[in-house]
Amino acid sequence: MIAVRGLLALPEWSDVVVPAGADGLDRRVTAVRAVFDLRPEVAAGELVVPVHPPPAADWRVDALLRRVADAGGAGVLLPGGLPPATRLLGDRLAVPVLVTAAEPLDLVVAARLALAAPDLDRARLVLAAQAALGERLRPPEEVVAVLRDLLDAPVALLDDRGALLAGDPVRGAVRVDEPVPQRIDVPGGVVLAHPVVLPRARPSAWLAVELSGPAAARAEVAPPALALTGGAVQRWLLANRLELERDARSRTALLGDLLRLDGEPTADLRRRATDAGWQLGGWHVGIRVGVPASVDVVARGPDVVAALRAAGVAAVVVEHGDGWTAWTSFDQEPTAARVRALGTRLRAAQRDLRRTVRAHMGVGRPHARFEGLAKTVAEATDAARLAATRVESGNFLHVDQLGMAQLLLEWTRTDTFEPAARALLAPLRGLPGDLVRTLSAYLDAESSIAETAATLGVHRNTVAARIARVERELGVDLAHRDERLALHLACRTVLPTG
Amino acid sequence: MGDTVHMRIDRDDVAALELGVTLLGSGGGGDTAWAGAVLRGRIDAGRRPTAIPPGDLPPDALVVPVGLVGATAVLAEKPMGGHEFRTAVDAIARWTGDRPDAVMSIEVGGLNGLLPVVAADDLDLPYVDADLAGRGLPRLDQLSTAAAGRGVAPAALAAPGGQVLVLATGTPADVERAVRGFLTVVGGWAVLALSPVRVADLPGCAVVGSTSGALELGRRAVTGVPGDVLATGRVVDVSRRRGTGFGRGSVAVLDHATGAVLRLEMENEYLLALRDGAPVAATPDVLVVLERRTRAPISCYHVRPGIELVVARLPAPAFWADPAHLPVVAPRAFGIDCDPVPA
Repeated sequence: MIAVRGLLALPEWSDVVVPAGADGLDRRVTAVRAVFDLRPEVAAGELVVPVHPPPAADWRVDALLRRVADAGGAGVLLPGGLPPATRLLGDRLAVPVLVTAAEPLDLVVAARLALAAPDLDRARLVLAAQAALGERLRPPEEVVAVLRDLLDAPVALLDDRGALLAGDPVRGAVRVDEPVPQRIDVPGGVVLAHPVVLPRARPSAWLAVELSGPAAARAEVAPPALALTGGAVQRWLLANRLELERDARSRTALLGDLLRLDGEPTADLRRRATDAGWQLGGWHVGIRVGVPASVDVVARGPDVVAALRAAGVAAVVVEHGDGWTAWTSFDQEPTAARVRALGTRLRAAQRDLRRTVRAHMGVGRPHARFEGLAKTVAEATDAARLAATRVESGNFLHVDQLGMAQLLLEWTRTDTFEPAARALLAPLRGLPGDLVRTLSAYLDAESSIAETAATLGVHRNTVAARIARVERELGVDLAHRDERLALHLACRTVLPTG
Repeated sequence: MGDTVHMRIDRDDVAALELGVTLLGSGGGGDTAWAGAVLRGRIDAGRRPTAIPPGDLPPDALVVPVGLVGATAVLAEKPMGGHEFRTAVDAIARWTGDRPDAVMSIEVGGLNGLLPVVAADDLDLPYVDADLAGRGLPRLDQLSTAAAGRGVAPAALAAPGGQVLVLATGTPADVERAVRGFLTVVGGWAVLALSPVRVADLPGCAVVGSTSGALELGRRAVTGVPGDVLATGRVVDVSRRRGTGFGRGSVAVLDHATGAVLRLEMENEYLLALRDGAPVAATPDVLVVLERRTRAPISCYHVRPGIELVVARLPAPAFWADPAHLPVVAPRAFGIDCDPVPA
């Protein structure tokens, strides 16, 4: 936007004087229009230039000023000789009366060029950005550098949380939850941010430029070029994503083949594993990271690798279902201390991940060779499934610390088993004789009536009567091993341990 | 027609009548002081000038419109001989073959609001309370008979030097042009008599009751400013320009109360008023310009920077509100490209 004052600064307008209405020199000019009619329809922001002006003393000059004032116009350009009445009126209405001896149409042309300058500048910038970016894919660092050179201002590529990915730091916080182009005022300047949106609802990244000092005036000019450059970043991210997806799919397939393996791996499978950089020999510790289904596991894969690396764990990470399956390998059987240390590091890595995503982690025991890989991964997967519901352990379970029996028992604490256990024992509830505890003690005592009586401190006949009652109420035969096992697990679940 | 009253003009009425016709001159119409003095002289000599309503005359009675045309300022250098009205009326009577039964004014505004009253006394005919303008108008083609389609011709002119001219036919514009030519030849002014009009025709082609109206206006103006006040303030600029026809000029008044700029456009009369660039009054409405303190009318000729003024608007006679009559007195008839401004 340019004010009347701005037009006066044009070289072609240098001889223009303002005998009246100087108070209106800050009126905005949207158009400079040559008019043939002395009673033109004036639009807001228009500076009117009569092509056939009336004599300066004509009352129609006054009427024209009034029209311009009423319409919110910018002013009138006339050829000189204003009478005092018109000067007074221009001052009173604060409508700038510009007087020139020059050819008014030359001034109109110059003013129109000046008014179009921001559009031209905008177009030039877009064309320059287009030419500089070219057809080929460029990494974000290069794209950012192109825009920085064009605007001569700091340009940043920010991730979806506003953290710097590439380029120079910029001031001002992008409102990352509002996926629209943004303009953020900072002291002495302005930051323009443009979202880079991949085919998901949330912007994946933000392109931001900080215009400060005199460059802030280009805030109106820069956005189209910013959008164009954002497109280049988007193309790069899309191409990258495509590669990631393809890569992830082949790794997932390879992992599936390995885990399903029954016997020696074929030469082809070995070859594929080697090509993927996977070590099949030695000892492996399986790791399973589970996340809610809403998480984009392909996109977040690098985060998992980075979190593990930051914790000092070099692992192969494969996108697998709602999460990642990973393992770390040792040339020799790891010592107990090493395994414990590994567990500590993995717990740290999981804590790190949990700052941005609701991840739970299970870790298997060390197993040797490729068949051991499947085993430890399976243990890790089981552990992870348990970890998902175990808030008290920080959603982290390490099989090595549990022992297999405990791990199995942990199964009975799951949300699915517990209601079943309660349902199984429900008929005993409310009956006299402490039947559940008697049953539990009886099963713990390997079906010995005498030992049960000793444990509970009651007479053995009492125990026998209670057990008979249990069998009757539940309709079970405690001589049957499956029913015994089921009831034993159910008692463990329902009764407090220890 | 019968609703106006038989109105005798007393000595005390002359000042009010003078003021009223001057205001109706809208800044033009010539100085009335001399005509007022003559009228007072007649009254002092025992004459009883009277304006009678047209209804007091038979419908077939003939009324001759008379008045002075040309530069009234020249009257001071070249006074009337006293014979001019009789000469002009005789000439038109001879040409038309009609003996007039009464006299009326061609325009009530300014000098011609008083002189025909004196002329009627000279001719010993009754003066009829009607005129052909209802205000001051500069041109013959703007008279109400022209606006009503009756034309102006035939017209008779009598110059102070004894020359007599009868224009037998011609459009109102032709008559106006020919009269202007004659005036330059005879030295500034002449007395005009137009073809007599039947009393029954007056309501359709004349402004009836204008002299009594002027007296009424004058009485009101003694005690206050008549009409709607447009501005009260100081004249900050007067510019006069030569142009085609009468010279054009403008007056800029800075309103004390609002700071508004009131601009008056004028020729021989004040024609258009713009407040802050927007038209607020225009001919045929009358623009009244008074000295603020004395409330003396200030003519277009006398207005100058520094005077404190009150500017007001008086509505035009109803005759001019008729769309068929309006064009000859609307701003465009004066070369001002502006629509009439409704009250």
